[in-house]
Amino acid sequence: MKTKIYEKLMAPWHKAGAVCQTRSRKVVAPSMAIMSLMIIGYSSASARTHPETKTNKTAWWQQIVMTGKVTDSSGAPLSGVSVYLKDTKTGVLTDASGHYSLPLKVSKGVLVFTFVGYESKEVSFEHQGELNVSLTSTSNTLNEIVVVGYGTQKRQDVTGAIAGISQKEIASRPVADALQAMQGKVAGVDITSTERPGTVDGITIRGVRSLTASNSPLFVVDGIPLTTGGIEYLNPTDIASIDVLKDASATAIYGSRGANGVVIVTTKQGKTGRTALDLNMSTTVENLQDKMTMMDAAQYIDFKRWSYYYKSPDVYPRGDQPTIENDKAIFLASSDPSAWANIEKGWASGSWDGSKVATTDWLGMVTQTGITKNLNLSVSGGTDKIKAYTSFGYLDNQGTQRGQEYKRYSANVNVDIKATKWFSMGGNLQASYSVQEYGQSSTGSNPLSSQGSIYEQARTELPYTVPYDADGNRIEYPGGDVAIKTVAGEWNLSQDQRVTLRAFGSFYAQIDFGEMLPVLKNLKYRVNFGPDISSYRDGVYIDSASVRSSGVNYASLGKTQKTSYTLDHLIYYNKSIGKHDLGLTLLGSWTQYNTETSSLAAYGIAFPSQKWNALTSSYISSTDLSGYSSGLTKSQLQSYMARLNYSYNDRYMLTLSARRDGASQLAEGHKYSWFPSAALAWRIDKESFMNASWVNDLKLRFGVGVTGNSAIDAYATQGALTSLFYPYESTLTSGTTPSTIMANQDLGWEKTTQYNIGVDFALFNRRISGSLDVYKSKTTDLLMEMDVPTVSGFTSTYANVGATANKGIDFSLTTQNISLKDFSWTTTTNLSWQNDHIVSLANGNQDDINNNWFIGQPIGVIYGYKSAGLWQASDEALYSIYNANGSSFSPGNVRVVDINGDSAFDANNDRIIIGNTRPRWIVGMTNTFTYKSFELSVFLYGRLKYMYDTGGENEGARGSQRLINYYTEVNTNADYQKPIRSDGSGDMYYGALGYKDGSFIKIRNISLGYNLSPQVLKKLSITNLKAYVQITNPGMLFSNINWLDMDLISPTYNRGITFGINASF
Amino acid sequence: MNKYKLYISAALFSGCLFLGSCKKDFLKEDLETDRGMNYYQTDAGIQSLATGTYYQVLKTPFSAEWIYCNTIYGVDEFGVGGDGSNEVWNDYDGGFKSIVSSVNSNTSSTNDQWDNLYIGIGDANLIIQNATASTSTSDDIKKVALGEGYFFRGYSYLRLVSQYGGVPLVTTPSTTVNLEYTRATPEEIYTQIISDLKQAYDLLPSSGAPAKLTKDAAAHFLAKAYLYRASEINDSWNSATKAADLAAIVPLCDEVIASHPLAPDFADLWDYTAPDGANEKLSEIILSAQFTSDVSATGENHQHIYFGGRYDDLPQMQRDVTGDRPYSRLRPNYYMYRVYDLVNDSRFWKSFRTKYRLNKASGNYYANGDLGVIYIVNQPGDTRFSSYRLNDVVVDPETGKTIPSAYIAYPKGTTTDGALNVDVRYPSVSKFFDGSRNAVNDTRGFRDIILARSAETYLIAAEAKIRLAKLGTGSYADALPYINAVRARATYKSGENRETYYDGGGALAASTSGQSPTINSFMAENSYYESNNIDKTTAATSLDISSTSALPASDNYIISKLGLSSEYDKMLALVLDERSRELAGEFMRWEDLSRTETLVGRVDAFNFQASGNVQSYHELRPIPQTYLDGIQSAGKALTADEKQAQQNPGY
Repeated sequence: MKTKIYEKLMAPWHKAGAVCQTRSRKVVAPSMAIMSLMIIGYSSASARTHPETKTNKTAWWQQIVMTGKVTDSSGAPLSGVSVYLKDTKTGVLTDASGHYSLPLKVSKGVLVFTFVGYESKEVSFEHQGELNVSLTSTSNTLNEIVVVGYGTQKRQDVTGAIAGISQKEIASRPVADALQAMQGKVAGVDITSTERPGTVDGITIRGVRSLTASNSPLFVVDGIPLTTGGIEYLNPTDIASIDVLKDASATAIYGSRGANGVVIVTTKQGKTGRTALDLNMSTTVENLQDKMTMMDAAQYIDFKRWSYYYKSPDVYPRGDQPTIENDKAIFLASSDPSAWANIEKGWASGSWDGSKVATTDWLGMVTQTGITKNLNLSVSGGTDKIKAYTSFGYLDNQGTQRGQEYKRYSANVNVDIKATKWFSMGGNLQASYSVQEYGQSSTGSNPLSSQGSIYEQARTELPYTVPYDADGNRIEYPGGDVAIKTVAGEWNLSQDQRVTLRAFGSFYAQIDFGEMLPVLKNLKYRVNFGPDISSYRDGVYIDSASVRSSGVNYASLGKTQKTSYTLDHLIYYNKSIGKHDLGLTLLGSWTQYNTETSSLAAYGIAFPSQKWNALTSSYISSTDLSGYSSGLTKSQLQSYMARLNYSYNDRYMLTLSARRDGASQLAEGHKYSWFPSAALAWRIDKESFMNASWVNDLKLRFGVGVTGNSAIDAYATQGALTSLFYPYESTLTSGTTPSTIMANQDLGWEKTTQYNIGVDFALFNRRISGSLDVYKSKTTDLLMEMDVPTVSGFTSTYANVGATANKGIDFSLTTQNISLKDFSWTTTTNLSWQNDHIVSLANGNQDDINNNWFIGQPIGVIYGYKSAGLWQASDEALYSIYNANGSSFSPGNVRVVDINGDSAFDANNDRIIIGNTRPRWIVGMTNTFTYKSFELSVFLYGRLKYMYDTGGENEGARGSQRLINYYTEVNTNADYQKPIRSDGSGDMYYGALGYKDGSFIKIRNISLGYNLSPQVLKKLSITNLKAYVQITNPGMLFSNINWLDMDLISPTYNRGITFGINASF
Repeated sequence: MNKYKLYISAALFSGCLFLGSCKKDFLKEDLETDRGMNYYQTDAGIQSLATGTYYQVLKTPFSAEWIYCNTIYGVDEFGVGGDGSNEVWNDYDGGFKSIVSSVNSNTSSTNDQWDNLYIGIGDANLIIQNATASTSTSDDIKKVALGEGYFFRGYSYLRLVSQYGGVPLVTTPSTTVNLEYTRATPEEIYTQIISDLKQAYDLLPSSGAPAKLTKDAAAHFLAKAYLYRASEINDSWNSATKAADLAAIVPLCDEVIASHPLAPDFADLWDYTAPDGANEKLSEIILSAQFTSDVSATGENHQHIYFGGRYDDLPQMQRDVTGDRPYSRLRPNYYMYRVYDLVNDSRFWKSFRTKYRLNKASGNYYANGDLGVIYIVNQPGDTRFSSYRLNDVVVDPETGKTIPSAYIAYPKGTTTDGALNVDVRYPSVSKFFDGSRNAVNDTRGFRDIILARSAETYLIAAEAKIRLAKLGTGSYADALPYINAVRARATYKSGENRETYYDGGGALAASTSGQSPTINSFMAENSYYESNNIDKTTAATSLDISSTSALPASDNYIISKLGLSSEYDKMLALVLDERSRELAGEFMRWEDLSRTETLVGRVDAFNFQASGNVQSYHELRPIPQTYLDGIQSAGKALTADEKQAQQNPGY
């Protein structure tokens, strides 16, 4: 049996090996462990790759005709394949059925089969006859084009650690923005989610290095860095590919902005010879799911009673021995008679029965079914001289919380014209207009409560209270506590509308001097110009009845206009001498960035329909103006760069680059710095000794580079004064105080040096492919806003202090586990591990407790008291020792560990590092199954091995409470401490119970697609039609914190289903 | 040939583009919308910095909670009201350490006060350095601004030393990061304070009070600094300076008193009817932190919300602008009901709100305008009321209707203090109420905060006389004229309606809130007669203390409660009691008790929440952990032992 399986396993390679002359016949038995895990089938197509060469008589004039059929790996005919005799111009294209017929004047030689998107194949022949060939798709192979920054390379020539996702992967599931499309698809990229429509996710590449400077990567769209940010405004269906430059040898080309990685987005362009109309439509229906269970009315009432009891046992009865008089007092019966009437139901029989008290579903009041409509239409086409692409996109994403919505209209025009042989010019203009209804505003005039969303606001409502009294009047403070305002109707009372108009252009002109003067062959000059304009308007209206209001209407209007441009001058020169290939790139680049802001806010809006649109002097008196401002920020970046690419015999590649950047926001004399890099690659598979047929590609890479980070605010070195008005009696007098941030006139670049070793591989007829990168980096001269002792008169300063180190592994692997004619199973796994730590800080090797930074520890840690559970009555002998030394413990209090064992607790000796807050492991896995025309894909995503501070449970029993197992005299084996009614401190160490392991693995989505068969499509004149359905967030595989979705770091998440079609005409 | 032309023109074209973008100063960064530090080298800059320092030093404390946490929590006068966000500052319990565990955003950290004061010192150092270096011949720079700089520095260090004892002494502006600081001795700090305030006294002008710093303000605080240095907490080292300090105080006080006569009626001080109104410009006021209704003014006064007890959740009541937002942070202890002669001393009735107008009438019985809430501050032994809380029982003689809520300090059968302490209700100190605010829940208040007034100057002089008498200079009776001057103003004058009451709730007319006056909870009436249970009278009263052997009954009660026996202790108790009667709530009590080392005794006796917890080490505040964690010694962070050595004992 074993032998049989082995033979079956090896059969395809036996046969494939027999086909191609470039492949050795020698069979190397694959011994990798992973092989045994795989169920390998072989496609019938493999068998067809046998060239069934017939021997015919050769005609006397020595002309022969080669015929045959070219198919893809599934046996489908390929039309338009170029078939030619090697080293000649003799050739033909295959017809619609994949057949070709090529007359030749030689009787033996080599035929070359080439086709875009497929690996070229060379087959030798000796006599006239039929030569049937199967071509292998090159998707995910080393022949694809990779954007490397100021140019492109074939993947086989790339020397740096660059990963990416293709248009196919972007299109594989409906996403709202480019980051969602990348999530879990690129090893080393950590993207955290948010579910507020129109709010972009957070992204870091290979962990973090900076302590306070930005850790966000640079986004480059069509060669122009997005200086003003805002990748979310790009319609993801316009994206042709996303390439992520990860290691410093690759990112150093962007010098000062490359330290956190570079995400290069290339938008779609027209293709020569093909016109197309593409239509993508999808509808998503989502509902909010909540992992956190709140106490219901009866549970909460018990909880509150206990809390009062533990506050003053001699005043209040035990929680399990309630009295109606006590309830009346503690539930503020006189303040909210309606809520009390509800509680009174529990006393109807004379003794307490909590089940009679109704629980109000406050949370259900603020949710809705979210419906997202997505429509994209694009046309493209091209000739030798002119290529064009244009698209229109519409997204209407309605949130699952009332009041939240995001609408985006986007358009894209991309034209490329080769005017003369030596001059080409083109441009890409993307414009989008979006309206985000933020939902309950996070600004507002005078928040009684500062929850982040209407849902979290509703969570604060007490379960036994009711929104309306018996007469139907809205109760403003349900439960009678002025800190808890009603959320009923809030969705109509608070509006925060954010409108963004974004126009981003990328234009170029290129002169090919070689076309003018042969001696200048391969010398090109190119100028890139990228203007970027963003206009943002935020309008807020808060009604006097809103939770966020202090009792009077409020409106604010804020506008921000960002304009920036990037101007690049580039010179390219290539030269091939024998086996030596040389490429030179020179760059001069200038970027300027301006932000203009203005805002106006006022109280006492005359009538609600005015919203923020009538903050005029005829309606608003000057004393009602609560704020107005305008501002201007400018910054500039100036850069020069040179890059040399050298390769020998397609086997050894070397990339050297040097960039010099100057940034305006750094101090005089410290503005400029050098950012060099070097990288080597070795294509081992090209070596003659590497003749194993099971190795398709094998490349070893090594790179080192220096990148920078100047991501601090403009003017940070200038010590701008804070202006103010002080009234001498009623006369306002202008005054100033120094900024509390000390100006630093020595502020310079933060620099990261990174080493990367990587290997790219494709094995067993490309059934297994992937790459493994190991990196190590050190960041020095950290740009930090560090706290300084306030004794100096300042609270902090920006400084270049200290160093961090970071190391990690990125691994991505694609395996075709099963590849049969009708059924296939492909798994793509992205795995990254990273570990950062602080090497030194402001004054050498000294911990900085105020900033939570510790030498040798990860950048994000939790520092505090370590929990040892709860004090029990039986511990009295022990806790009374502590109580004698300044503590005041009693049974049910949180017990923490006495680290130094001195029988007392103090901040100097008993706090320790509890754990790191950044995940060690990030995992993404996509399993794709195809059966005939169906395609099923399951995407898993996880973050592992880190601590999360859930905050503990205060148990002051003033506000609502998550359902927890809390300590009482009748429930001593509890997870959390005893409740103590308090508006303030509660249990001193309750926070120590809040540190939890945040690891999780989640099924992000499952999608099922159906591709209509070509036969049906032909009748409909449709090139391609795919219908799909996707389920988002079906569930967690595991999570250590069961009341939070750690993917979103929120108790709530949206579960939904999407129906969509993609059609090409 | 054509090709060459093309080539040349293309090269020119690209060369132009390339060169065109090479600007020499492309990276130059100019501050266009703000000024930089070099502005302070100009006359205008120095003056603007001085104005900014008024804001930082005088005003910023009052938009925060730490100011009352550090000055009036944990004393005999006040305890925690209904809201315990900052109870640790009052209770001195196990949680009162160098880090106070913060459980809501209102909790004050240990470093809030420390940071605020040192930032003010940084600003003052900049004024002093730049005004000293200025070559200007203008008095505004060389005298006024420089004097202001010295005043602010001395004033801030006086706050620091009276809270923390010895602190790091920084007298020059910081321009580079320095992490190496050590605590100077209290003696060094006082030497600096007195030197600074003397300079300020010499440099500052005579006019401009109370908005601007004057020679009198400097004199008042210089007298205070001398008094503090001569107080008990410094007895281990102050013997060399004590006699001279005490001798210097009275002339300074006399000078201040002469130009700042007391307002005729104690109520004048609190009769706030509009921002920048008459009560904010009284001659009695030496210095106040300035607030105004113009919202362009930076900084907000939040103190109006912390003293008010809950009224809005009582039957027939709702929150309104004149009743203010009841944050219920500060509850008067029973000490406050004991320390006054409630019949003859008008100050209790002019400092506390004891009646609320009914403002949410429902049903047919009540109408808005009826008496809605009454606090009856009676004396032990009163048998009129059966419970501390009586709903719809007590009858308002004016309307004949029952009062929905009545709270009684001493219900029938109680002779001990504390009946009201089981509830979150209490008569509220009304000195900071603000009915001129823009909205019912608006935290932004417009009232000035008095930082020094001559009534206190009298009491500083009185205390100096008592201390001098102890040293053998003069007699204890020398203090009486100063005390009696303050007490004389506190009497009822002939013809005075003792029920008449004012507080800032009466400023609704100045408010833009648009609130209807029919829902006012402010009532221009107090519970004088209901509490004292005497017939109406308009006779004059006297509070004169004729002899040190015939102290008022209320003082004797407190003296006996504290178990004091020496004449000095009794006289010190008298002056501390008088400070309570006159200055309750005015942000200085903790320092008075700490420096006189009477904190433990008085808190144990009168603050029911902190009683038993307070210990003598609480006479100094914990040095903030953020400071200890942030500093270094010889390039190294402090070890736990070194931090402990810099910490005040006990924390």
